[in-house]
Amino acid sequence: MWPTFLSSLRETMSRRVALVLFGVAILVAVAFNWIAHVRTSPAGSVVIAIGTQPPGAPEIAVPAVLESELHAAGSLWLLLAVFAATPLLTSTLEKGWLELLFSKGTARWRIFGGRFLAGLALYAISFAIATLPVAARLWWRTGVPTWQISLALAMQTLSFAAILSVAAIACLPQRGVALPIIAAVAVWVLAPSLAKRQETYYQLFSSHAVREIVDWVYRILPKSTELEDLSAAFIHSGRIAAWWPVWSTAVFAMATLGLTSWLLRRKSF
Amino acid sequence: MVTPAIDLRGLRKVYPGFRRAPVEALRDISLCVEPASIFGLIGQNGAGKTTLVKILLGLSAPTAGSAKVLGASPSDTATRRRLGYLPEQMRLPDHFAAEDFLNYMGALNGLDPRTCRSRIPRLLARVGLERTRQAVRVYSKGMLQRLGLAQALINDPAVLFLDEPTDGLDPLGRKDVRDLLIALRAEGKTIFLNSHLLSEIELVCDRIAIMDRGRLARMAAPAEFTRGTGEYLVTVAASSDGVRAAAASVLGEDVRWEQNAARFVTRDLAHLNSLLDQLRRVPVEIESVEPIRLSLERFFIEVVGEKATHVAHLS
Repeated sequence: MWPTFLSSLRETMSRRVALVLFGVAILVAVAFNWIAHVRTSPAGSVVIAIGTQPPGAPEIAVPAVLESELHAAGSLWLLLAVFAATPLLTSTLEKGWLELLFSKGTARWRIFGGRFLAGLALYAISFAIATLPVAARLWWRTGVPTWQISLALAMQTLSFAAILSVAAIACLPQRGVALPIIAAVAVWVLAPSLAKRQETYYQLFSSHAVREIVDWVYRILPKSTELEDLSAAFIHSGRIAAWWPVWSTAVFAMATLGLTSWLLRRKSF
Repeated sequence: MVTPAIDLRGLRKVYPGFRRAPVEALRDISLCVEPASIFGLIGQNGAGKTTLVKILLGLSAPTAGSAKVLGASPSDTATRRRLGYLPEQMRLPDHFAAEDFLNYMGALNGLDPRTCRSRIPRLLARVGLERTRQAVRVYSKGMLQRLGLAQALINDPAVLFLDEPTDGLDPLGRKDVRDLLIALRAEGKTIFLNSHLLSEIELVCDRIAIMDRGRLARMAAPAEFTRGTGEYLVTVAASSDGVRAAAASVLGEDVRWEQNAARFVTRDLAHLNSLLDQLRRVPVEIESVEPIRLSLERFFIEVVGEKATHVAHLS
């Protein structure tokens, strides 16, 4: 899996959309460094001014800056990363390349898994570029611990892994990048409405059976919205309020990838 | 008893149809390929050659029957580590340079980086590929083909599957590839060659199989395909009345007269000798006496064409 991971990571870097992702990551880092001014007040204490807002105590302002970054990275970012990472999966199954890869002495799931991990790394690295320099600077200038952003990054990466796993399984029935991207984006778009299903789907469907189905769909699918909220809360409190979204999303990702590997192993090309 | 390099028994492959009839791509294929030999597979487009190669590489599963390569199933990764493959339409990500690509292909076959690094310069020299640090996007078709051959050899395979290996190469390049195949056979490697270039197949293969609509139509050594017909072609320099009379006494009217020469086709050796005896009685210069042989191409057309006609009659 490791050689495929490294090779795929290099392949990713040669794609234009990945360069856009890294470019945007650098811009986000620069913008947040620009917005968050660390100053020393006349009383001698360190304060942070965010944009035109009045300066605040670092204990409150630092988590607020990181949370804003997290929300920026959690939404648009994930979408961009889906566009950048999905072609890595679909190109594995392109005629001429597929025959070369799968005729070698490495199991298909290892090759596909290596490419999946490269897609995941693309997201995590770009996310880290966008957030870690700001977190490091704020910690260095204020002394307020910012390590929580690392765990938030891990949770967001888990969320992305679950969504990318949907793209992975959607690669199998046909060639081309459209269906996997549509499937992944659809799952991501559904997540917020399912999280608030009492206010959305329950209003549309009065049937108990339909509501039960909606509940099960919610239980099964990745919980991107909850993971983003948990990450934001963790930055403030340093505590995970509920583990259910974390482990259920992890189970979804593992199960989808397991099923993809099994189908890939059985598939005749 | 020596284990065959490739052993197929009753192999059948049916592609199930969705809203259409299933397609039977392979029908009861049985064959053995001996180690250290070159086996050529020829057939029309859609005859089932690619499906057969895919099964032999573990890319596709047979519907029935068994396929063994080096005595084991090609779906085992350990077996595939001893195989090399050059697909007909090789497609690589653009960013690769030749050495990176070969390192990656070697790694997929379980080679450690040091072994790869030591093999790559020799391999590139062997396939005649230069400018190896450039990205493959600037490679010509011929260069890509040479790179494809190099990747197929990176793991020092025991069995090599080559699909149109001379495609895109100039005549010198083709000769290089032929020489390479012969050298590889001398090293004990088995080569399964899939090509439309019948003349090349004829030149290097020890055995040739003709596939037709999913079946093995014929399988033999090239000499059997291109065996003599028993007929001889005699060419004489001038066609005087004496020559005409001598030829007519043996051949009757079956003589092709040309402006300054005459060509006679005799039906067998006795017939040839009678003709030569008669010709020697008149002053004539015999230019050549050649046994008439079938070419592989003519044989192929006869086999495939005859079946096509048969099928057309049935339908």
